[in-house]
Amino acid sequence: MDGLDSERRAPPVALVVFGASGDLTARKLMPSLERLAARRLLPAGFTVVGVARTEWTDDDFRTRMAETVKNAGPEWRDVTSRFRYVAGDYSDTSTFERLRGVLDDADRTIGTAGNRVHYLATVPTAFGPVARALGEHGMARPAHADGFVRVVIEKPFGRDLATAHALDAELHEVFDEEQLYRIDHYLGKETVQDVFALRFANAIFEPVWNRRYVDAVQITVAESVGVGHRAAFYEQAGAMRDIVQNHLMQVLACTAMEPPARFEAASIRDEKVKLLRAVDTLAPDEVIGEVIRAQYERGWVEGEEVPGYREEEGVDRESRTETYVAMRLYVDNWRWAGVPFYLRTGKRLPKRVTEVALEFKSVPHLPFSSALTRGLDRNALILRIQPDEGITLRFGAKVPGQAFRIRTVSMDFSYGAAFVEETPDAYERLLLDAFVGDPTLFIRSDEVAQSWRIVEPILQSWADHQAPLARYPAGTWGPRAADQLVEREGHQWRSP
Amino acid sequence: MAEPLTLSVWSEDGVRVADVVAALEDLRRPEPMPATRTSVLTLVVVATRAASADRALAALHELGGRHPARVLTILSDPDAAPSDAGIDASVRLLGGEADGKEVWFEDVELCVRDDAARHLDSLIEPFTIADLPVVVWFVDGLPADDDPLLAAADVVLVDARDFGDADCFGSLARVTRRRPVVDLSWQRLQPWRELLAGLFEGPDARPFLGDVRSVRVAGRTGPRHLLAGWVADRLRLPSPEVHLVAGEHVSMRVVAVAPDGRAGTFEVLRRDDERVVRARADLEGGPTSEVVVPLPDATPAWGLATALSRLYRDPVYEHALRAAVALADRR
Repeated sequence: MDGLDSERRAPPVALVVFGASGDLTARKLMPSLERLAARRLLPAGFTVVGVARTEWTDDDFRTRMAETVKNAGPEWRDVTSRFRYVAGDYSDTSTFERLRGVLDDADRTIGTAGNRVHYLATVPTAFGPVARALGEHGMARPAHADGFVRVVIEKPFGRDLATAHALDAELHEVFDEEQLYRIDHYLGKETVQDVFALRFANAIFEPVWNRRYVDAVQITVAESVGVGHRAAFYEQAGAMRDIVQNHLMQVLACTAMEPPARFEAASIRDEKVKLLRAVDTLAPDEVIGEVIRAQYERGWVEGEEVPGYREEEGVDRESRTETYVAMRLYVDNWRWAGVPFYLRTGKRLPKRVTEVALEFKSVPHLPFSSALTRGLDRNALILRIQPDEGITLRFGAKVPGQAFRIRTVSMDFSYGAAFVEETPDAYERLLLDAFVGDPTLFIRSDEVAQSWRIVEPILQSWADHQAPLARYPAGTWGPRAADQLVEREGHQWRSP
Repeated sequence: MAEPLTLSVWSEDGVRVADVVAALEDLRRPEPMPATRTSVLTLVVVATRAASADRALAALHELGGRHPARVLTILSDPDAAPSDAGIDASVRLLGGEADGKEVWFEDVELCVRDDAARHLDSLIEPFTIADLPVVVWFVDGLPADDDPLLAAADVVLVDARDFGDADCFGSLARVTRRRPVVDLSWQRLQPWRELLAGLFEGPDARPFLGDVRSVRVAGRTGPRHLLAGWVADRLRLPSPEVHLVAGEHVSMRVVAVAPDGRAGTFEVLRRDDERVVRARADLEGGPTSEVVVPLPDATPAWGLATALSRLYRDPVYEHALRAAVALADRR
């Protein structure tokens, strides 16, 4: 009813979670659903149907999902009481026959109206078989003209360009591209979305958002945690596939893309693809100089001694998997030609932080002696994506006093302080987007392909040339080689 | 600013850093409106004695709104029993008013034992506020040359007076090679330095700078060495001409001769019962000038406020320090 809905609200829908007994379901999906329920954004006709090999009953599933959220509101137990569970192997036809029966039953008893969001929280090798089985069992298309069936896919989207294409081909045999919601939870973060607001809703930033004023851009995705229980996956992926190919490329695209004509999915995705297409790929002989790969050794993080990567459980003692990547890229277009984009990510760095920093050029002439400007750095605009979400502008100001001294000061905008509204978690935002059918913050297949186009030559060069693997003690900001990468052009990594 | 109000407190023993960081974030989310943090720096107080840490914290609270900071106080005990696992932590959100504006800032106190106390740098990073300087204040002793804490600091804060012996200058000089050092003792000596320099201003006194015959500096260990080092360096004096004398208050006496052979005495001193510094120049056959200036506020907070306004490398101090090392080695 017009005038009543100030927020988007999910339509009736059944969320089918493949990999329902896994970590992602408990750690991310359930807490996000609980928040949506607490905000009254889930409809009465809503349920979750969990599918996994683990031999649970409906009650097991309900109890476990209810318990995943600490201090949940009273409505959460009510929501979970309608959950259903299907135990079975994805290669077993009967699993999908039973799933079909459960979903039909949910339509009748809960009112999910034939709408489905299939969430593939499984290992990537299961994506294709699950999609095929959904098609074969009549669960890939909506039951009626007003209904919908969507599929949310977790990264990785392939291991390289060829496997990404192969995965797309498999999925497209069953689903249209419009039905596919490739999730990169970074896009669901408020501050990533705020990049759009900052750039395209303000007159003061966009005019300086280009090569004329920007000297360099640094994007950092730092984690303080190690490989944890993901060793089996991480050994195959490494930081390049785990973070660079998706999160870093998406943040880069949002930061550097041209303004879209409209704030709608197609326009934004078109501009992101254009930007990624403009990123210069590195020739094999350039990779060693432009991309640093490294692995953490034993060290101290947050006051605790932590093992080196090769000492982690499940990791090969001779592993050459990179846990750190620093690289320099150039975007060959009118806006960014010649501006280095420094990207870095790593595990076991001193703290968890994600930020984008635009470092501006120095003034053409500084009319002050060097003694007066000893504390003056280049102007910088920093977008803090996590934690402590906000924006900082750094500029020079006169130090109060009789002498004329200038030093850099920070002008700070903090989300927590500026808004009363609670910031939704990324998964909360993206789940609701999938329910209401807004693909803006999901990744289109051509974005995936362009990201692989940038990353694949690097991976190939590493494989062909046994690229050096630097070491860094856990708890430091990476190897010396990464410092040298930026110092060559007179820059320094920030200490975020 | 009045003593800040404690708005919220969290404290727990045997926790991990992640717990403390989470508590810090939670404290800043009170209903109905989140508190706005006002910080101009991250100040890390490193102590091995609880009393020193308390003293430093008291001074910082007194400083209050002038330099609102996230204050991380680390009380470290590397020799504690390994069985005392984890960190004892408390977090406070403080608020108040300065110049009519609301300011909010945070105190984090960590008690760290065993091996973790030898890797304090790994504790600091999660608490630093991006883009604000990290000042590490060593209140109970100077860091070793290879102390990893130095890498985490943008500026090192010390008080040479606290260390009580002249041997500290060598260590301090080595620290300056790695990080800018702000010395509270040096800040307190500013009136003496300004007054002595001022005595040589003008055409009558300036010719005496060319031939300084002797310098006598009295005071406590630390301040007198720094001041003597400064004079020796600025006037390029060979160290035998600089005499150091123990005393309660700092005083300086410079004897110089003008090119025409006239003698001049330049003196800056504080008498026992006075809260002023006196500067006097007696020039043979010429004018006698005298200046009296009140001593600045002697509270630790004043010294801190001044020091924290100058968070950059001070080459004059560094040269004075190196000269002080030479003077101390002369013993």
